[in-house]
Amino acid sequence: MWADGDHRRVPGDKEPQLHSRPGHRGTRTMLPLLLLLLPAARGTVVTVGPEPALTQDPRLEMVTTASTFVLDQPRCVFQNYSDAVIWLVVTNDKGAFNNSMKPGTSKTAFQKFPDEVSAYMTLNVTLPSYPCPKPAGDITVLRVGSETSCAKDMSRPTCNGPLPGPGPYWVKFLALDDSGPVAETKWSMPIMLRTAQPASNISTGSGYRDGMIAITTILSILFAILLAALLAMLVFCGSESCGSSTFSKAESVSVRRYNTHHVYDQPCARL
Amino acid sequence: MAKSDDCVHILQGLLVFGNVVIGMCGIALTAECIYVVANSHGLDPLLKVTENSDIYAAAWIGIFVGLALFVLSILGIIAVIKASRTLLLVYIILMLITFAFEMASCITAATQQESLAPEFLLKQMLNGYESSDAANNSGNEFTKTWDDLMRQNHCCGVKGPSDWQEYTSAFRDTHSDADYPWPRTCCVMNEEQHPLNLDGCKLGVPGYYKSNGCYDAISGPVKAYRGVAWFGFAILCWTFCVLLGTMFYWSGIED
Repeated sequence: MWADGDHRRVPGDKEPQLHSRPGHRGTRTMLPLLLLLLPAARGTVVTVGPEPALTQDPRLEMVTTASTFVLDQPRCVFQNYSDAVIWLVVTNDKGAFNNSMKPGTSKTAFQKFPDEVSAYMTLNVTLPSYPCPKPAGDITVLRVGSETSCAKDMSRPTCNGPLPGPGPYWVKFLALDDSGPVAETKWSMPIMLRTAQPASNISTGSGYRDGMIAITTILSILFAILLAALLAMLVFCGSESCGSSTFSKAESVSVRRYNTHHVYDQPCARL
Repeated sequence: MAKSDDCVHILQGLLVFGNVVIGMCGIALTAECIYVVANSHGLDPLLKVTENSDIYAAAWIGIFVGLALFVLSILGIIAVIKASRTLLLVYIILMLITFAFEMASCITAATQQESLAPEFLLKQMLNGYESSDAANNSGNEFTKTWDDLMRQNHCCGVKGPSDWQEYTSAFRDTHSDADYPWPRTCCVMNEEQHPLNLDGCKLGVPGYYKSNGCYDAISGPVKAYRGVAWFGFAILCWTFCVLLGTMFYWSGIED
């Protein structure tokens, strides 16, 4: 399946090891130089890997919701820091966070975000959670905002709780070990979350009402015309036919009988 | 004389043609209304939800009006050819009665169009759908009806699961966005009615949630129902012309 980065691991506590061979002549001068450089090296944080980004592959319907978003896991990013603990920094103000801030304190507690602090740190996993390269077919995503149970619990300042507003938010991964921050990614692009409109904004189309009014009026008018025509037809043309001159039947011409004088004369002649 | 004969024959021909068309349209109207009534099982949950039974009334009237139109058109053809005044008068009066019934059916169907529109259904769903707990089957009638609809048709929401994300709703007021981007019924379920993979469903991984909207499942009967209104209107317009012609013909013949 996939890992979504919600595991809690105990950070390893190995000391960083210096590679040095005191036997060689060149390294004798190198050693003090290295020792001099060591405090400076401790303060340098190496920028590694690609910056965090919203998951593009596979395409997820809910890459961002109103209070969560989904990032790709930082696989093959912190390979050189096998004993560091990886943290995710979420902020709404890039300039407000500096790498000296420690996780689990009230300055970086999730519960105080965003009113009292501008950034919080969460995640707290070690490198073995993110083996490199990732197995094919696994979906390796990290859902920011998935823990709702500890969102108000002050005893869990590193809670991965739901985000309070639509953003924009910037995130970066930070690798810390016992000596402080050792590696980080660049800040991500600004991430905006979804905002929901009120349901009253949905406009039920008025086109339907217009159609209904049109049908009703037209049909009523047609029916009224038909009734009027029927009335006119019965009243005016009820008994005799109107327009008999146009529609007369073929044999309707009546022939009057003419009595000729012959007919009347004949009986008198016989008598 | 010959001219008036031609006029008679032309008018008779037109009226017979008009009645043939009415007869065929009557059969078509009956068929469409039978389709709407027979396929209404998909609409049933929605109609229960919108408490709308007038939709069936319009379809049932349409069935009988269609048959009446067919029978009357045959009577009309016989009456026109025989040029019998009594038969034609009977035909005209019966057609007027059928016209009135079809008018009622048409207007009812047109009035109901609004309540079958997707925006209307969406608004109703967002305002009325509350908790859905598949385990103990709680929730009000409206929610249960929608759950049944979503389970039967393997769909979610009206246009899709993002309906729950784009708009505020009664569901959103009681369920947090992080835990419930959409109701659990939108997840693909296994045999025991539990989500196949809850995380996959919440993230929206294809295959673990239902991505199509329920409006597609009922759009067939809805379109047919819209046809009942508009086809009925067209038939009535044609019948109007034929009836006017018949009245003119009646007034011009002798018995």
